[in-house]
Amino acid sequence: MARSGTDRSGEGAPRVRTPGEAERRGGFRRDLIANLWVIAALIAGMQFWSMVAPPYIMPPPATSLETTGTVLQEDWRHILYTITRLVVSVGFALVVGSLIGALMAMIRPIQPYLMSIVVIDTGIPALSWMLFSVFWFKDPETRVFFILAMILIPFYALNVYDGIRALSRDLVEMVETFRPTRIEVFRHLILPHVVPYILMTTKSIIGYATRMTAFAELVSVNTGMGARMGLAQNNLAMDGVIAWTILLVFLNLAVQGLVSLAEKSLLRWRPEVEVR
Amino acid sequence: MTAAGGAAMIVLDRVDKRFGDHYAVRDLSFAVAKGEIVAIVGRTGAGKSTALHMIMGVMPPSAGTVRVEGLDPYADFKALKGKLSVSFQTDRLLPWRTAWENVALGLQIMGRDAPTRRAEAIRWLENVKITGAENVAKYPHQLSGGMRQRVSLARALAVDPELVLLDESFSQLDHVTSKALRSDFTELVRRVKKTCVLITHRIDDALEMADRVIVLAAPARLALEVRVRPEDRADPAWLRDRHRRIAEAMGGEEAPAEEVADGLRH
Repeated sequence: MARSGTDRSGEGAPRVRTPGEAERRGGFRRDLIANLWVIAALIAGMQFWSMVAPPYIMPPPATSLETTGTVLQEDWRHILYTITRLVVSVGFALVVGSLIGALMAMIRPIQPYLMSIVVIDTGIPALSWMLFSVFWFKDPETRVFFILAMILIPFYALNVYDGIRALSRDLVEMVETFRPTRIEVFRHLILPHVVPYILMTTKSIIGYATRMTAFAELVSVNTGMGARMGLAQNNLAMDGVIAWTILLVFLNLAVQGLVSLAEKSLLRWRPEVEVR
Repeated sequence: MTAAGGAAMIVLDRVDKRFGDHYAVRDLSFAVAKGEIVAIVGRTGAGKSTALHMIMGVMPPSAGTVRVEGLDPYADFKALKGKLSVSFQTDRLLPWRTAWENVALGLQIMGRDAPTRRAEAIRWLENVKITGAENVAKYPHQLSGGMRQRVSLARALAVDPELVLLDESFSQLDHVTSKALRSDFTELVRRVKKTCVLITHRIDDALEMADRVIVLAAPARLALEVRVRPEDRADPAWLRDRHRRIAEAMGGEEAPAEEVADGLRH
């Protein structure tokens, strides 16, 4: 045997630089320090402002933090409502949007019709969907679900469609030499290929989806973080508005973190590349 | 019956393939016997790959008939499931699958259960000299070009096909890696008694590996056939002569015949 199982003579071997563990840890520490500085500057700014403005404009940061603690103890059910609505709506949009994207890419005759629907959907402002939902649906949960689904589905549909179109013809030909069924092609080739596109879409829309959930709750229901924020605003309780804002930021960060974890696990096959 | 005297695995009978007014293949006829290793050589644009695509069944002929095991590979596409596999010029590995998972792809499509798939995939990786739990669990980007091509060959052989098609499978590798892989592959294919058709533009590859060399001249039509016996490969004068004749039939010199003969001997 001329070549051992570990040969790296490697014509076509990857010429990328993978950042080391120490480098990654260093980058994380640098980001953390920067974040802490920004938060400290924000708190200092709020403190200064609270000294010159009345409490209904800017309460002291300590009051807002205290209210955040109270909200966490007494209103945690509203946080759960928001999380549930967010997860159900994003999950539904992910499945339906990805299916629409796959149908657009795989069944040519229906592609122009579906594309037209998706493009029109992207052109309709979120505010219009909110107003439509108030007119069309009695049930508050249906309203929030409908608003979020209508806003999020096109993101998944368009990205999955583009992802499938970017699939290498060589890989399709390779899989076809084994004479698979259409379902097998979808399962072994198309689905794993579009996972990065689905994750990328989720990562980029999750912050937007969190904000939209709160917004939809504000106009459509009387439960959830958005609705409680509206109530605080009606009561001129700025500390309450700030408390819910802080919790929304943390919710957003937690969800982003979960998506990143899912990405790390599902895309562990992808080399980490650093361009110098 | 074929020129080799055995039952035919592949028969092309007066095949044409036209793209508009352009003939990529014209009046091409040849047969490949079961268990035979046949190399199809020709210059770039001679229609080798078009002929291979028709044998694979991904493209119908414009005229004439193509038969693989008596079936039309294009019309009876599904009927040849598991009987034919292909290794390409580039490895075409799925980047999200490890080495053994890539080899198991065909077995998965054939409906084998998970433990059988894994055991078979690892056995075929061992056959192409990729061993060790660490290596079989590597993703394609963690493997060298030579190793990736070995995985690709293992994937083609793992479904236990009757017919293996190689489309310039060794041409992108460096000389040393390519030679080692060619030698391992030929030994393996002879051991497991598979029929093999390899497409190449390198005459030395064809003379080294094949029982028979079919030379195509553009548009793909049979220009020359050369039968190669094991003892011929040890005869530099014979190799030089056949190399020259093949190069002439292809329509030009490919490499100095002396170098080829020397290269095959060492």
